[in-house]
Amino acid sequence: MLARQALCRVAKPSVAGSAPAGARNMATLREIEMRLKSVRNIEKITKSMKLIASTKLAKAQRALNSGKEYGLANSEIFQHASSEPTGKRKLFVVVSSDKGMCGGIHSSVSKATRREFADKDSDLDKDSPIAVIGDKSKSQLSRVLPGNLVISFNQIGRDIPTFADAAGVADLILKSGVEYDSIAIVYNKFVSAISYESAIVEVQTANSLKESPGFSAYEMEDDVTTDLAEFAFANAIYAALVEGHACEISARRNAMDNASKNAGDMIGNLQLKYNRGRQAAITNELVDIITGASAL
Amino acid sequence: MSALRLVSAVGRRATRTLVDARRGYAEAVSDKIKLSLVLPHQAIFTSTDVVQVNLPAATGDMGILANHVPSIEAVRPGVVEVVESGNASKKFFVSGGFATVHPNNKLTINVIEAAALDAFSVEAVRSNLQEALRVANGNGSEEDKLEARVEADVYEALQHALSH
Repeated sequence: MLARQALCRVAKPSVAGSAPAGARNMATLREIEMRLKSVRNIEKITKSMKLIASTKLAKAQRALNSGKEYGLANSEIFQHASSEPTGKRKLFVVVSSDKGMCGGIHSSVSKATRREFADKDSDLDKDSPIAVIGDKSKSQLSRVLPGNLVISFNQIGRDIPTFADAAGVADLILKSGVEYDSIAIVYNKFVSAISYESAIVEVQTANSLKESPGFSAYEMEDDVTTDLAEFAFANAIYAALVEGHACEISARRNAMDNASKNAGDMIGNLQLKYNRGRQAAITNELVDIITGASAL
Repeated sequence: MSALRLVSAVGRRATRTLVDARRGYAEAVSDKIKLSLVLPHQAIFTSTDVVQVNLPAATGDMGILANHVPSIEAVRPGVVEVVESGNASKKFFVSGGFATVHPNNKLTINVIEAAALDAFSVEAVRSNLQEALRVANGNGSEEDKLEARVEADVYEALQHALSH
């Protein structure tokens, strides 16, 4: 009889006390379990994105080296035939891309462009046209300098940029009839696998080449100045596209690496919480049982 | 005695001419020009010292030696021959671009595509040329026909280069 009474007294508290407490713990435990599952999925995704970016980076760096040599050979003429353009209308070609998850790549070039326009010491014409390559920078710049955007490009930079891409961009810009006295290409320069910085490279137009004193030292049988200027423009865009692409891939690799590390930390914390919660639930049940048993 | 003076004078002149000859050797090094032959996806030569470069300029074939006067030439599709030293020369077929000789004895050639002559297949060139000629003389748009005409010109130049 005493045993039966004890059993009843044990049964009631365990049903009345631990059901809400246990249910509360179970609910919290369930929540933590769900969060754990989703963070584990995120970690898998960011790890695989990092792996893809790492493999793409090797190829992009090789293209970068060749593209840089190409750009250097192209700009040799500008070093010998430099000139100050008389007009102050500068065409900015902002080189970026359409995809995100790459850290601060797009805001880096957008900020550099904004800085040029906001610079009070320079006598840049504030109506200067801007040509944007890449939807992300386009949306950033259209918020800050909406009146200056004249032409934009997208679907470039999904893979290693080719000369055909750069030639197409140059062709469309030249065909659009935009007027400018000089050209500045804003892109991200590859400093190392973990860092990049925005840079601006100046390209001369046919007119400023003709006005340059150093240019007259060059002999030309036919006057190919316009062709040379257009070719040099396409070359400079190509070099900037390739370098920007390499910067973007390395930035994406680093961003996904950080995200994976953060996800790993979160998983550790959540796992600890889960274990503590599980142990707390067990301890509570034990306490209830023992309390009930000691009341006998 | 006068004979002795003569001999010593000749001896002095001889040593002087020997010194002049030694100075002459130093100038021989700048007989090379620094060539940078670069494609968008590959750098074939980067500031390499070469003896002579023959290019197919739009205004006619020309050969560039060291200390050439600065000039800018458009390059038409054809064979660029690079003589590095002695008689060793390398030939590349280039698609077109610009060649610039700079005042500091540098030659930069930016072309879109280039390949060694033995990388081409004569069969492929012939069939592609026929295809391009067909489009050029066909009923497409003006732009397509112009593009095909340019393509046919390149293939014809390539055929000419390969048959030599």
